[in-house]
Amino acid sequence: MTPDRPPAPQPAASPWRWARALYAVFALIVFCFPGGMVDWLDERNASGWLSAPLAVARAIDAASAAVGTKAVGEALRGRFAAWVEDSGG
Amino acid sequence: MLFPTIDFGLFFAFSFALVWSLNAYNTLKKIVLLALSLAFYASWNWRFVLLLLASGAISYCIGLYVDAAGKRPFRRLALALGVALDLAILCYFKYLNFFIAQFLTLAYALGFHPSLAFVNVTLPVAISFLTFHAISYIVDVHRGRLAASRSPLDILLYISFFPHLVAGPIVRAHVFLPQLAEPPRAGDFPLGENMLLILGGLFKKMVIANYLAVRFVDPVFTDPTQFSRFDLIVAVYAYAVQIYADFSAYTDIAIGVAALLGYRFPQNFNQPYRALGIGDFWRRWHMTLSAWLRDYLYIPLGGNRHGALMTARNLMITMLLGGLWHGANWTFLIWGAMHGAMLVVDHAYRKSALYERWGKGRLAATIDWAITFHFVCFAWLFFRSPSLDAALQYVAGIWSDNGAPNTMPTIVLPLIACGALTQIAPSWLRGAIGAALDERGLLAQAAAGFALFYFIVVMAPSAAAPFIYFQF
Repeated sequence: MTPDRPPAPQPAASPWRWARALYAVFALIVFCFPGGMVDWLDERNASGWLSAPLAVARAIDAASAAVGTKAVGEALRGRFAAWVEDSGG
Repeated sequence: MLFPTIDFGLFFAFSFALVWSLNAYNTLKKIVLLALSLAFYASWNWRFVLLLLASGAISYCIGLYVDAAGKRPFRRLALALGVALDLAILCYFKYLNFFIAQFLTLAYALGFHPSLAFVNVTLPVAISFLTFHAISYIVDVHRGRLAASRSPLDILLYISFFPHLVAGPIVRAHVFLPQLAEPPRAGDFPLGENMLLILGGLFKKMVIANYLAVRFVDPVFTDPTQFSRFDLIVAVYAYAVQIYADFSAYTDIAIGVAALLGYRFPQNFNQPYRALGIGDFWRRWHMTLSAWLRDYLYIPLGGNRHGALMTARNLMITMLLGGLWHGANWTFLIWGAMHGAMLVVDHAYRKSALYERWGKGRLAATIDWAITFHFVCFAWLFFRSPSLDAALQYVAGIWSDNGAPNTMPTIVLPLIACGALTQIAPSWLRGAIGAALDERGLLAQAAAGFALFYFIVVMAPSAAAPFIYFQF
């Protein structure tokens, strides 16, 4: 830090504070829409090197299905897609 | 590796933690950033990483030689060599087959039959943006605007930094290189505003641009003869919204991602469809390209310093080359010529007595806006069409209705309305909401980020289309 640079604003002064917010958002999205991550890992796991993360993703998928967030996300996506399809064209 | 994909989400999450954990060790951090950027580029084709390294090496060596403080002989010649090498790489990959095609057409028309074959070449992603960054660095060093960097690492990172690598914004060396001198501070950038910038970009791309393209614009431009006059007209305006939503989304995400890594990028769009006059449009649309063309082409050609005729010539040359920069196709040349001609008219009008007397009232501003907006949309028709024949067929379809039924999906109008909202929303709004989130702390930031992201994922189609500007 050089003397001519004013002090950084306090509310966002640490990148690790940013990281907590960003990773929380990522984690919540993966929990609500786990299918995308499972498919993504599955497509790239031909040689088996992603078996461990895939198992974790499947566990998240099961947990999300158990509490119902996966179903809500899928239903909302399906309903919006159907509305777009029904809008003609 | 497109921005709105799981690949990039994971890549960014990994990069973010890695880069900030090395913040106290600036050189190591830059090495890691360079490695990440090369890996990002290699995700398309690893062979083109060599091109990136070659471009960086040329810029570094020429930069050191032409440094204004160096007083070396033949500095201008060395600069010309550097620019020629950069342009030769661009021309080989992007324009060689176009020029061969034009040569063969002309030769056959004149009765010759030369044995000239097309070159089998793959266009590297981001070749145009790469070239512009490289040229701006050596020219700025030659002009004495910045000192040549002694660090090849800094030059390579400047050219290859992954947020701007593929589709800009075009970041000038004098803006970026000083930022590499010392480690950035997270607190210099507000998290809330940059998170909203990225999520807003995702919404514009994933929802507005993707749906407009897939549901309406692509089918209409693929075969305009199958659509009614109404569909053809609306598709032109829909494309105007699509290309803005698509390209501004990319640069919003790029600016936000760079800020979250601690680096500042310049603004690239400023509500361009509000422009009053075509000159104003180019001060709001792809601002970093406009500034690049102005500083490295228009002004060296003489700018507006040698009378009206030379100014008109310089504007036309600049816009023709600006059009050709977008791709080796006559449609881009015509698009550039249209903008060049309109800039000449606009330039003359702003200096006329007519403008002094009548051009500054509210009514004149409304007329200015209407003419500019509709001209820009009409020019997009040529920009979007796959060929000149297709563009003329499209115009003919607008001119004479073929009686086909209107097929515009209902969703198009709300999407166009969303696009219009991005043009009239106050520019301070995102900053104010972001600041409010930052003040309320971590929970508010995470909750707002999650809610917006959730909303986007619900609305987004399953597959992400490539960004329009990837091809340039």
